[in-house]
Amino acid sequence: MTKSRRISRHVKRRMTAIACSILVLLVMLFFLAPFVWMIIYSIYPSQVLQGGIPDLSAANLTAGAYARLFSDTSFLVPMGNSAIVGISTTLICMTVGSACAYAIARFRFRGRQTLLMSMMTVQAIPVIVLAVPLFILLRSVGLYDQLFGLILTYTAFILPLVIWMMVGFFEDLPPSLERAARIDGCSRFQIMYKIAFPLAAPGMAATAILAFITSWSDFFLAKVLTSSNAVTLPVKTAAFQGLFAMDYTSAATAGVITAVPVLILTLIAQKWIIRGLTEGAVKG
Amino acid sequence: MAEIKLINVAKTYGKGRKAKNAVHDLSYTIDDGTFVSLLGPSGCGKSTTLNMIAGLEDISAGEILIDGHRVDDLEPDKRDLAFVFQDYALYPHMSVFENIAFGLRMRKVPKAEIHTRVTDAARRLDIEHVLSNRPRALSGGQRQRVALARAIARRPAVFLFDEPLSNLDALLRDQTRSELKMLHAELGATSVYVTHDQEEAMTLSDKIAVMSRGKLEQFGTPFEVYHQPATEFVASFVGKPRMNLFTAAKLASGHYGLSGTHFTVDVPAVQAPEMRIGLRPEECDLRVPSSGEAAHGTVRTVEPLGNVSDVILDVGANQFLSRVPGFGTFQPGDEVVIDTQRARVHCFDIKTGLRI
Repeated sequence: MTKSRRISRHVKRRMTAIACSILVLLVMLFFLAPFVWMIIYSIYPSQVLQGGIPDLSAANLTAGAYARLFSDTSFLVPMGNSAIVGISTTLICMTVGSACAYAIARFRFRGRQTLLMSMMTVQAIPVIVLAVPLFILLRSVGLYDQLFGLILTYTAFILPLVIWMMVGFFEDLPPSLERAARIDGCSRFQIMYKIAFPLAAPGMAATAILAFITSWSDFFLAKVLTSSNAVTLPVKTAAFQGLFAMDYTSAATAGVITAVPVLILTLIAQKWIIRGLTEGAVKG
Repeated sequence: MAEIKLINVAKTYGKGRKAKNAVHDLSYTIDDGTFVSLLGPSGCGKSTTLNMIAGLEDISAGEILIDGHRVDDLEPDKRDLAFVFQDYALYPHMSVFENIAFGLRMRKVPKAEIHTRVTDAARRLDIEHVLSNRPRALSGGQRQRVALARAIARRPAVFLFDEPLSNLDALLRDQTRSELKMLHAELGATSVYVTHDQEEAMTLSDKIAVMSRGKLEQFGTPFEVYHQPATEFVASFVGKPRMNLFTAAKLASGHYGLSGTHFTVDVPAVQAPEMRIGLRPEECDLRVPSSGEAAHGTVRTVEPLGNVSDVILDVGANQFLSRVPGFGTFQPGDEVVIDTQRARVHCFDIKTGLRI
């Protein structure tokens, strides 16, 4: 190969790398800009931001909006509600879902595939179609505007997804490990929590985080199924937008507070997913 | 120590019209302290049989007795056996020590005793220095040893092995095979070993159960299986290179020939008009035909292996293999005579495949 051809190949490769970097930057900007703007809004007074070119100097920084929201009971209660609903939904979904998924993954029974498919069908129904029937149903059983009603509803929506995902994780585990555990004296239940669950932990963590994020940040169902008592964080955040005026700072601050747990959990999930726990289990 | 007895054991998968017999009517006894291999091609039911002995699969019919006690309705852990899996099946989330100790912990063995047994097993298999490592940090050979140590530490009455060497490279396989044999001599526990590798079966076993399509073809010592194969299948499966097998027609009483050739074999005791004849390649010599003598076949290729050479001949429409010492003196195209004077002639019924 001649020198000039080698150089042109080198240049071409470099150009491609630069083009890719620019593309990534653009995509990042597209996704991150609204979030960055939200953070800026939460830490600068709105007067600074709304008049022409914003002055983003450190002197203007303020944590006043956070202090105000964290001392306001009408904000803390929805935040607590969101936490209760998110954690409870996740716990129920993971406990019931993992056991259910393990059974589907490991036992061969009639209707197994149909069961799995029907679970996905639930996901295909738009939530908006079910909102009104759910509202009527919950009201008739006295669970309207109750945290338990909300937990039950979210569980119904998220559980099939959890099972669907977990079946995949359990099916990936080498069956010989469970057979070895049976020889070692484990009961079915012990195999599940001593072998299968620890090995599927990365998958379980990822699924749990997904379940939490879905229930924590849902707006639509929470809006339909609550009025005052069981209002959650997204509903409260939306309430900062009034009919004639909007408290941008509070809305942005509440938005950041809603997003932070989701962000942290996603980062943790990423670490968990990458960790290949089953590596070295069997030959290779 | 234990004797394993299989009485009419069968395994059927599916029900009704879809039912498929994986194992048919197995009956044999594995004597106390012996090493028995289940040998056969893949899909012959050998692993299913092992799993049934282990209790990992239910039996569809028959009985399995260990030391006279019926065990086929017992859970695997109640049968006092250890299992070494093909893929080792080490728990990846536990250290090597915990892996070996797990079965003992589940059986509520006292802590001090667990420690003694684990270190003893690790010392025997030379893996003491990796006890604190996770399985993923070990090489294939070390993982295999951990799997063996896990079985040994349990001190069971029966060891079951499911192709434990098939994932090792050739050199390590030979080495581990010898160690396995020594280990068995040392421990003296009844062992059942599944393999498709006849060399492993021959070198390790006191007895071999050759299986094909879910049926037992022969249960005998390596000598019997090699020199007195009970069926044509056993004859063709055991032995490397494979036995020469061809259909021969009766020419005169006790005199059989391969049609269209001058190759004949004397089998005085047999009277059937036609039968299958088997000759081991290493027992058949080749020579140049003497003047006036008709050649049996033509050399097609010669495959030198160093100490021996495999000479492939065209004998009529059949291929015939002869293993000759050294590099041999034959060239492709040479006409030769097959000398079967020192060969054992194996005769099989043409319909049933059974030894005559």
